[in-house]
Amino acid sequence: MSRGNRGQVRIIEAFLAVLIIFSSLAASSSLTATQNRAKRDDLSAVGLQALMKLDSDGALGRLIDEGNWSRLRDAVDLALPAGVSFNLTVYNEGIQQVNAVVVSNGGFNSQEVVFVEYACAGWGPVFHSYVIRLCLAVAA
Amino acid sequence: MKRQVEEFRANRSGQLLIVAALAIAVLVSSTTIYVYELSRDTNSSDRPPLNDFVLSLKQSTRNVMISSLANVSNGGSSSVLATNLNTFSQLVASLHHLGTMSLDFTPLNDSTYDSGTYLSWNTSDIGVSSAYVNFTLRVYGLEEDIDAAFAVNVTTTIAISGSYATLLSGDKQVSLTCRVYNEDEPALAKNMTFFYENSGNWIQVDASNDLFIIDQGNGTYLVSFTVNIPSDTVPVSVRGYDSRNVFVLANTTCSGT
Repeated sequence: MSRGNRGQVRIIEAFLAVLIIFSSLAASSSLTATQNRAKRDDLSAVGLQALMKLDSDGALGRLIDEGNWSRLRDAVDLALPAGVSFNLTVYNEGIQQVNAVVVSNGGFNSQEVVFVEYACAGWGPVFHSYVIRLCLAVAA
Repeated sequence: MKRQVEEFRANRSGQLLIVAALAIAVLVSSTTIYVYELSRDTNSSDRPPLNDFVLSLKQSTRNVMISSLANVSNGGSSSVLATNLNTFSQLVASLHHLGTMSLDFTPLNDSTYDSGTYLSWNTSDIGVSSAYVNFTLRVYGLEEDIDAAFAVNVTTTIAISGSYATLLSGDKQVSLTCRVYNEDEPALAKNMTFFYENSGNWIQVDASNDLFIIDQGNGTYLVSFTVNIPSDTVPVSVRGYDSRNVFVLANTTCSGT
């Protein structure tokens, strides 16, 4: 092999080495993306379970019936793990917004926002049902 | 010899570079896979979101039935249950975040249940307010479909037993034991009122009857009061609400001990 060709071969070898390292990094980042999807599913499960917990004794429907939004905000805040931001909106059977005030514990700084829908029915003898839409994000 | 080694090193340095790159790639990949597997093992929940949603919907249908039973047991029409479930089914159909959904229901109709509700308040010693509905939930999800059939039973029961002792004054001291159940599990009562029958009239027991209630905290209530009636037996009626506002009534006849 001539000295001129040897240089080109070195470049090709270096290029191959870089390609190998970058392909391993690309494969790793695809795994991380799958992990992010799992995290999003986890966060929505946490949100749904928090709403189910509040609804297990009819408290969720009662607070909405009463329009007690500050207590609802506190209850959801307590039911969710620390460091999770939320924004909750309540709609009636006609899908009209019921809460006149914002039910939230702060702004969303994260790009990962998940969305949970929950069908809620109150325990009162006068029947009311609501759709609760809960947006969740891990606070930055 | 030394020169040959140097020439070998110079000629093979590019291949060594590739081998080193391969080694680094293997290290990076294996570390990432190891961390990924570790985090997967510590994941709190492996259930897909649709399963969680079905669970939440089961709980909500239960709440609809509690509300309906509270209404029916307080004098509402038995058709209230179907009306409320219809409203709720339409609400469920408006949820789209996991796909298209439909919730069908069939209230139980048999020898005891009428349009899914059953009120048995005349049986001696036990009063029952109950609702029973079969549901079919179909979810045509973005990633999977679910076809789930389940039944929901909401039952409030009150069981009473009692006797009386005649006091020196001639008054009868009635002692009652009341037990409240939700779905056959002990449950707390929200409110209870007691009546006794005298000459065909039901009279409410109040403070003038030395009414005394011990709440044992486990759904059992020990009640005592005094009455002044001439009959040998004391017919007693207990009317109560459980913590879900479902009304239930039971009658018993207390004999002297």
